[in-house]
Amino acid sequence: MEREGRMISDWLDQYGDPEIYAFVEKNLAIVDKVHTVLETKGWSKAQLAEAMGKSPSEVSKWLSGMHNLTLKSIIKMEAALGIDLIHCEPVKEYEYVFLGFLSNMEDLKTKSEEYTQTTEPEEFSIAM
Amino acid sequence: MVNYYTVKLDEDDLSLFGQFQRKHSHENSEKLEHIIAWIAIIGRKYGAKSIYFRNEAETADTAALPPRNPNLEPTYIEWDNETETGETNNLRLYAFRVNEHVVFLFNGDVKTADKAQNCPNVRGHFKLANKLTAVIETCLRNGDIDWNDDRTDIFFDKNLELNW
Repeated sequence: MEREGRMISDWLDQYGDPEIYAFVEKNLAIVDKVHTVLETKGWSKAQLAEAMGKSPSEVSKWLSGMHNLTLKSIIKMEAALGIDLIHCEPVKEYEYVFLGFLSNMEDLKTKSEEYTQTTEPEEFSIAM
Repeated sequence: MVNYYTVKLDEDDLSLFGQFQRKHSHENSEKLEHIIAWIAIIGRKYGAKSIYFRNEAETADTAALPPRNPNLEPTYIEWDNETETGETNNLRLYAFRVNEHVVFLFNGDVKTADKAQNCPNVRGHFKLANKLTAVIETCLRNGDIDWNDDRTDIFFDKNLELNW
């Protein structure tokens, strides 16, 4: 009897196809999230099927983790459960955030020049 | 998250899971890859929940991969609803899912009949997996295989032999 060691990761490194790995990984992510939400809601797979107007066996097939889910079936589950299963974020190169206007620049420049950083402890009095 | 173990028979150079990998790396590489990726991902992210295995118990609590797809047999890995065509994964890897953290991986083959008992390819692997599952269950009960405190891993003598 022996520990599996690196047989699985080594095999994937040597023979693995990233597309198959990604297919299984994304499929499992969706299925696991649906199962978690069903548990939280206290729903059975049959109740989910009813909410989507689908047969329980079809929904079981979707949630087997080995089914090639269509976008339509993912959206049906999202709508029935009220969750997002896929997030698509726009690609951003830059994001500009408006912080406000600066006025009295001369005063700010003087303050920044007068600023000194110290490691000495300082005492502050608090107005009560 | 999941600790995988395998078993080596006296007369063999490779462990049972090693034999499975070696044989199907060339003969059924894509089907094998779906199973290996599945093992790796549930191992890393989700744990060995029972829903991620199929029940193959005959005389003991043996399981197998890939999980059952209740509507279609054998399990489809790619399925097009419109054309109703797809590629099937009838490769079976027999296993003993001890709990969500410990799984024994045995051997398997391409299943060509409805029942494992009727398939010349997998019958031997199925029977052996059930026998090994029973022996390991006994070792867990009598302490030859022991649990860590939070039952996330097992300990055993490195020379432990499974006898039946």
